[in-house]
Amino acid sequence: MRERYARIATEERAGDCCSTDDSCCSSAEATAPADETARKLGYSDAELSSVTEGANLGLGCGNPQAIASLDAGDSVLDLGSGAGFDCFLAAREVGDAGRVIGVDMTPEMVEKARENARENGTDNVEFRLGEIEHLPVADASVDVIISNCVVNLSPEKPQVFEEAFRVLRPGGRLAISDVVLTAEVPADVRADPESVASCVAGASTIDRLETMLAAAGFTSVDIAPKDDSEEVIRDWDDEYDVSEFLVAAAITARKPEVDGE
Amino acid sequence: MKESLMEIVCCPMDKHDLELDADERDDGEIISGTLTCTDCGESYPIEDGIPNLLPPDMRDGA
Repeated sequence: MRERYARIATEERAGDCCSTDDSCCSSAEATAPADETARKLGYSDAELSSVTEGANLGLGCGNPQAIASLDAGDSVLDLGSGAGFDCFLAAREVGDAGRVIGVDMTPEMVEKARENARENGTDNVEFRLGEIEHLPVADASVDVIISNCVVNLSPEKPQVFEEAFRVLRPGGRLAISDVVLTAEVPADVRADPESVASCVAGASTIDRLETMLAAAGFTSVDIAPKDDSEEVIRDWDDEYDVSEFLVAAAITARKPEVDGE
Repeated sequence: MKESLMEIVCCPMDKHDLELDADERDDGEIISGTLTCTDCGESYPIEDGIPNLLPPDMRDGA
């Protein structure tokens, strides 16, 4: 998976979700610009034009609500920040008093994100190489965790949520976007090694995610499928119609104000 | 990385504080250097301004 994302980072075309022909989701959309996909996901033109070209790789499943909910001064952590698109948008919201930290495990992505930060002139964003299962972030140090279509890729989701809980301040919140399963994944998709990286076989059901989040200590857990995601998700894979069992969802949860232990 | 971020970075493995040894700085930013865990002693490189805080067993592919 890391190789796949490294390949996308180093390819100069800021394409859509995986633009290489040998990848799982080289679709009819393969020539459509990433911005068009982003627009379908609910990002505004103003947001798209505010970010350096190349930061939006079109790999997400949409996180505009989470970004809109940020307050000036917030410390924000982006899990799987990729080329930095959501980080730059988040940086606009939190302003100079806030800061945004992007963590990604792919060196090529982090380099690209740093270049983009330089071109964008964004000063309150930092990127680092790290793994979301082993966050290099101190306890209780961030207000909001955002993430766009990344957690489903982790084989150790409970650990990701435990780490997220740990680094959030009491009262802090998780506001991520990810794909969730609405039905069992067909056996042929599950057996396809390329489909893991296309946000398919690793996704969890809403029930399982709720259980994991609660086990990590989160309260006010809400997982809301986004009805309008079907159009984008259907284009992810030209072999299977993944929208039959997969939907993008807004996942929100809160770390209790006083530790309830 | 900016030096001001030292307060919120930690060792990815045991979450203890890291100590910064900067080799090259540029306008408040650490361009290269090493972060060393004050507890387990594991060190993490900073190269081209990017701290590599991947767990040691993942760093080889990086």
